[in-house]
Amino acid sequence: MSEAYAHPNYVKIWIWLLVLLALSVAGPMLEIPTLTIITAFGIAIVKAFLVAANFMHLKFEKKIIWFLLLMSICMLGVFFFGVAPDIMMTEGDQWIDCIADKSCVEQRL
Amino acid sequence: MSQAATAVQTDTNAEHHEELSFLYKYILPTDHKIIAMQYIFTGMIMAVIGGYFAYAFRMQLAFPGELVPLYGLVGPGEYNMLVTNHGTIMIFWVAMPVLIAGFGNYIIPLMIGCDDMVFPRLNRLSYQIFLASTLVLILSFFVKGGGFGGAWTAYPPLSSVAEYSLTDWGASLWVLAVALEFVSFLLGGINFVTTTMNARAPGMKMMDIPIAVWFIVLAVILFMASVGPLIAGAVMLFMDQRIGTSFFLPSGGGDPLLWQHLFWFFGHPEVYVVLLPTLGIVADIITVFSRKKLFGYKTVLYTAFATGGLSFVVWAHHQFIAGIDPRMANVFVVTTVLISIPLAEMMFSYIATLYGGSIELKTPMLWALSFIAAFLIGGVTGIYLGASALDVYFHDSYFVLAHFHYTFFPITIIGMFAAITFWFPKMFGRMMNDTLGKIHFWGTFIPFNCIFLPLFFLGLAGQHRRIYNYNHFPDLATQELQNIRIFATVSLIVMLCFQLVFIYNFFVSMFKGKKAPDNPWNANTLEWSTPSPPPHGNFKTLPTVYRGAYEYSVPGREMDYWPQNEPPEES
Repeated sequence: MSEAYAHPNYVKIWIWLLVLLALSVAGPMLEIPTLTIITAFGIAIVKAFLVAANFMHLKFEKKIIWFLLLMSICMLGVFFFGVAPDIMMTEGDQWIDCIADKSCVEQRL
Repeated sequence: MSQAATAVQTDTNAEHHEELSFLYKYILPTDHKIIAMQYIFTGMIMAVIGGYFAYAFRMQLAFPGELVPLYGLVGPGEYNMLVTNHGTIMIFWVAMPVLIAGFGNYIIPLMIGCDDMVFPRLNRLSYQIFLASTLVLILSFFVKGGGFGGAWTAYPPLSSVAEYSLTDWGASLWVLAVALEFVSFLLGGINFVTTTMNARAPGMKMMDIPIAVWFIVLAVILFMASVGPLIAGAVMLFMDQRIGTSFFLPSGGGDPLLWQHLFWFFGHPEVYVVLLPTLGIVADIITVFSRKKLFGYKTVLYTAFATGGLSFVVWAHHQFIAGIDPRMANVFVVTTVLISIPLAEMMFSYIATLYGGSIELKTPMLWALSFIAAFLIGGVTGIYLGASALDVYFHDSYFVLAHFHYTFFPITIIGMFAAITFWFPKMFGRMMNDTLGKIHFWGTFIPFNCIFLPLFFLGLAGQHRRIYNYNHFPDLATQELQNIRIFATVSLIVMLCFQLVFIYNFFVSMFKGKKAPDNPWNANTLEWSTPSPPPHGNFKTLPTVYRGAYEYSVPGREMDYWPQNEPPEES
């Protein structure tokens, strides 16, 4: 199997990753919230794709491997969006302060 | 598979499967059949421990504060330990090792026509890690403070703070044991999937694979896809317990709900992880003993795919009243009700398979039929609990407990007995006594219903679970309710006594039973084409497959079965 792999130009990919890293560091320095989000998350996704496709050889794998990856990402999404409303919206303090505070309870309901 | 189809019959490597020394045959085996028996016997021993725990705490419920014969006094802490470890053992140390690891190991290579698992040493390692996890769990009963008492769901902060659970090291050892067990099943799962996908007999296409094998493979895929969050959660819980982190502790800014999500994201698919193997085993048994083709092979398979997929999006129905976002509750009600559709469809397929068949009520068939009947009650009562409005009342009541046992008892115990009585002749080369088998069946199935049907009524009456003495609650301390508790407990004792019949039948038949022919049930699948018990290497000549697994009562054929490996007649 492995002998059938064509090898990507690893150095070229590495340079691209460095450029993207520089962009993701520089982006937030401009202090524009939208741009910060794009440079942080957008570039991270592109970098992850480059690493997975080239260094993890997904580019050369069968479609089933991509399918498995996609399913894993979907599972992550399902879990994240199922849990986020409970965990992220409350700053973790609802168990301490919220119960005594009626308005807080009403707000949550 | 085209590769499989074009491959030619091969002499098995009989010369590579020479007789081994006792050490390598039974203590450090790589033969899947011996490993399977190691799992099954370990699981059965653990079932005895789990059953003993159930006896002890049921006696406390029926006769609170009195000495329990063969146990002693059950205090509140001990009661918690008993219920926690009963649940843990029965799910993780009985259902999974027996149904998935045990029978998966035994039947997959035999049913797909290969000589062993593709990774035999990994298989051995898997059992050894499982054995280590078993020893760690048993060890936890004897450390200071006793075994873990924070329920099998291990909700923090109860499970993460020793002052709350009163089982300091017991809790940590419990987490360690569960984590080790999951590592073991991950290794086993890799083996099952790889073997089934790559080592099938020549000619066996995907749609020729017996349902029992398909379902075990689907079960391990579900397990592997769902267990990650729980292992991560277990590590965090362990750190909360031992090094003072606060992932789940509100006092340190953590969130106990996060554990519940991590646990149930695994915990609900886990229901289907143990359910699917039993469903597969039952499918194979009902076709053999009704001499009929499985009704809708592909439909049954696709319903299992649908069930598996949906099982990942129903987990929060366990948390409706735990303080989750109410909007999410709506979503999970819909998905929970949805999941009943494919399962109902599968049950209809099974019933349609029975319709018009030449049904023979041998012991394995009785178990298979009783599975369908009991599991339907479990499934239907699950729909009530899946509705968040009803769950507000039912949550943590004995209604949940009765529902749960109407699903898990058929899955674990009935499924296990169905499989053992069906494959016993193949495993040991001898027949079990059918009359004793039937006595054991009725002596188990009737008391099972007598234990758990009344618990629905207790739940409806408002009886909460995890209370060790109901005399402390005036509303629940009435004589009427107590009578029901006593009835359930006596039924349990009757059921446990009837297990002696099984143990006698099992061991006596193993050594003195009637010699079993290669194919005592006139079944089609490949394991019946090899001697009973199969030799090391399974087949003298690797079989070639010509058809699906369920060609029973084919018109125009003299015999009412058509083995998968029998060459087609020349026309």
